[in-house]
Amino acid sequence: MRAALVAAAAAAVVTFPYWSRPWASPFATTLLRDALILAIFALSLDLLVGRAGMPSLGHAAFFGAGAYAAGIAGQRFATDQLPVTLGAAALVGAALALLIGVLVVRSEGIFFLMLTLALAQIVFAIAFQWTAVTGGSNGLSGVGRPMLAAVDFSAPDLMYVLVAVTFVLAVLVLWGLARSPYGRALTGVRENERRMRALGYDTARLRLSAFVIAGTIAGIAGALSAYSTRFVSAQDAGLGNSVRAFVTVLVGGAGTLGGPIVGSALVSLIERVVPSLLPTDLRIADAILGIVFIGFVLFARQGMVGLGHAALVRVSRR
Amino acid sequence: MIEIRDLRRAFGGVMALDGVTLTLADGERRAVIGPNGAGKTTLINTLAGETAPTGGAIRLAGRDITRLRPWQRARLGLAHVYQRTELFAPLAARDNVALAVAARRGPYRMFRAVPRSEYAESEAVLERVGLAGRESVAARALSHGERRQLELAVALAQRPRVLLLDEPTAGMSPLETARITELIAGLDRALTILIVEHDMDVVFRLADRVTVLHEGRVIADGAAADVRGDTRVHDVYLGKAVTVA
Amino acid sequence: MTAELVFQQALNGLSFGALLFILASGLSLVFGMMDVVNLAHGAFYMLGAYVALSVVQSTGSFWLAMLAAPLALGVLGFVLEPLLLRRLRARHLDQVLLTIGVSLVIVDVIGQVWGREVRSLSAPAGLDGSVTLIGGVYPVYRLFVIAFGVALAAAMAVVYRRTRIGMLIRAGVQDAEMLGALGVDTNRLFASTFATGAALAGLAGVIAAPVFGVQPGMDTDPGLLYSLVVVVVGGLGTLSGAVAGSLLVGPADTFGKVLFQDVALAVIFAIVALVLLLKPTGLLGRIRIAR
Repeated sequence: MRAALVAAAAAAVVTFPYWSRPWASPFATTLLRDALILAIFALSLDLLVGRAGMPSLGHAAFFGAGAYAAGIAGQRFATDQLPVTLGAAALVGAALALLIGVLVVRSEGIFFLMLTLALAQIVFAIAFQWTAVTGGSNGLSGVGRPMLAAVDFSAPDLMYVLVAVTFVLAVLVLWGLARSPYGRALTGVRENERRMRALGYDTARLRLSAFVIAGTIAGIAGALSAYSTRFVSAQDAGLGNSVRAFVTVLVGGAGTLGGPIVGSALVSLIERVVPSLLPTDLRIADAILGIVFIGFVLFARQGMVGLGHAALVRVSRR
Repeated sequence: MIEIRDLRRAFGGVMALDGVTLTLADGERRAVIGPNGAGKTTLINTLAGETAPTGGAIRLAGRDITRLRPWQRARLGLAHVYQRTELFAPLAARDNVALAVAARRGPYRMFRAVPRSEYAESEAVLERVGLAGRESVAARALSHGERRQLELAVALAQRPRVLLLDEPTAGMSPLETARITELIAGLDRALTILIVEHDMDVVFRLADRVTVLHEGRVIADGAAADVRGDTRVHDVYLGKAVTVA
Repeated sequence: MTAELVFQQALNGLSFGALLFILASGLSLVFGMMDVVNLAHGAFYMLGAYVALSVVQSTGSFWLAMLAAPLALGVLGFVLEPLLLRRLRARHLDQVLLTIGVSLVIVDVIGQVWGREVRSLSAPAGLDGSVTLIGGVYPVYRLFVIAFGVALAAAMAVVYRRTRIGMLIRAGVQDAEMLGALGVDTNRLFASTFATGAALAGLAGVIAAPVFGVQPGMDTDPGLLYSLVVVVVGGLGTLSGAVAGSLLVGPADTFGKVLFQDVALAVIFAIVALVLLLKPTGLLGRIRIAR
């Protein structure tokens, strides 16, 4: 029964532009597309933050690397074929995650957070300064819309479908991971790493594997972003983007599958919809995001999903 | 089964372990006793691999494990029950045990659900330690005594060859203590057990041999009854009238 | 690379290092005392520069700005700590997350109030000339920065080792809870420490302004990025760590930019990676695993 509902929801998400045509503008499709990309990005971060207990503040490094890889691969190999460019993004995301992971995986908590932040910032700086390869501060323009055999994803609706399908696949993969012995082992590492070691788990390797998986998915999200906007800027790998993903995860609810999804809806709303409600010279979307974030950290640490649970509990008690 | 040779561990200027040598035979039940600060917990932590010794060697079933990490020793059949409860608080009792069961098979099975056999095995172990019916309760919701029982269940689920118990009855009521003691007494005789304890009743119920530590050194080592009458041991425990029978 | 060029770059490296010290010391202090990595530190640095901008615009005095900016930031820090951070005592990771939110708000507000164009602040009269040194002309201001950095480090060392407040800080860095048990008002101590960290960041903002300009993005680059790299490399929580880190990162970054241009930051990456591999807590840091 639940499986049928979930399948229906997935189908609705994927076909959104078509059934919403009568009442929604193309802007709605674009907005949802970007929210879904953020959701994929946030879901990958939640594997680290929520499930494995690894608070990474440098996750955008992999997003940006994937975005650049997709764009550069398309240009260097003179192809728009999805397997090549998306494959390049996933590969680069994984490789970079392995490189950084090996350095950071033995630290925990705040120290881990700072290390990931510092190393990711260095990746950003390299992207910003390596003009020959990345376009430097001007960014990488002219990223082609992908093709899969004969299917051309140039049309906005088709591009959305590509993103939506990837989103559904990502959710499936992460859901499967969460229920598996691997996911449970990650939870164990989060709750009591010392005990896990005493039980015979190589916790360093577990954390590294989670880091690489998360980096790969983030790279894929970056590629989708590059296809969508046809442009990659160094900011895609910057602290602002890492913070954005972290805020999304926490505000939505870390450690749950629904959290990052709900969080990306809220963050997209604040970033895109709220500014249109304010006078144009009042640009404080980030400040609003910051205040909302502070509010959640202080008063609703489990995020919106946590609030939802608490509300449900209260309702069921009556 | 376990050979400890001239084990040393210094913390700054203090010799927590000062040349400890002892041997455990297969299936032996050995209690380690001694006043506070004698080095008992350091000994267990060094055996488990959480603390590196500054000198000496440890062998498990003939194999040198002195340089091995805790998870490597666990894979060789060493299980450790901590002095302070170390469980996975938000997880259900069954999941706590299942983690131990799954450890044997390796955690990289990513795309299948948790096999039912794991849960069946977990529930069997829980029943053995007397926690039948409490499988779905979160570890943090259990009573102190139940948590110590769960600790034992988790260790047993590892199917160890050697069990290290660090004060298993600490903080327990007489009833809980008796229950845990009988549980340990009823364990498979093939299992080698090293138990650090303060409660002498428990020691004499469970131990074949007793080792007495004092200031990082072994001052007595023999059959339980012999150690009981050793005057040096009495001297060392002066002031602890409660424990000496 | 001529000897003159090397000397010039060495001076540049030292002045950058001095700046980094003023900037990073505040971050290190707050962490050492409160176990909080203030991720709004870069935003404080940025705010200091913008406040200086306004002060100079209205009064024309750079020296006044050098007093006003740290003061303003100190007040801000003194207000923020009890308002936000104190509610999360012992939840160190959450405190760090909170500072992220604070940073978002401050940076956006700066953009709203002062605008998002690139601004500049000139060195004060008297320090804006150049002096002829070995083989070249060198800006006086950069020499001033070096002197100021050294003086500040010396002053901090004296306070740290010889005064009562320094003793409190040293004790607090060891074990702040214990201080509370001894009758010290830890609430006021933490608020003051946080305020001092913010003030130091603000001071760095003023002093760096004539060299690095005043623009959007400065909270991250050089602000937060460089302070973090310095304390990660040098070691968190110790004064000597901040000094060691700045002396290493400053010249390395300067020479790296000269020698490798486009990928200069890879040099920093290499240093950070090397230090992390050899000594995960930084060169002179304390081992701290906080959740």
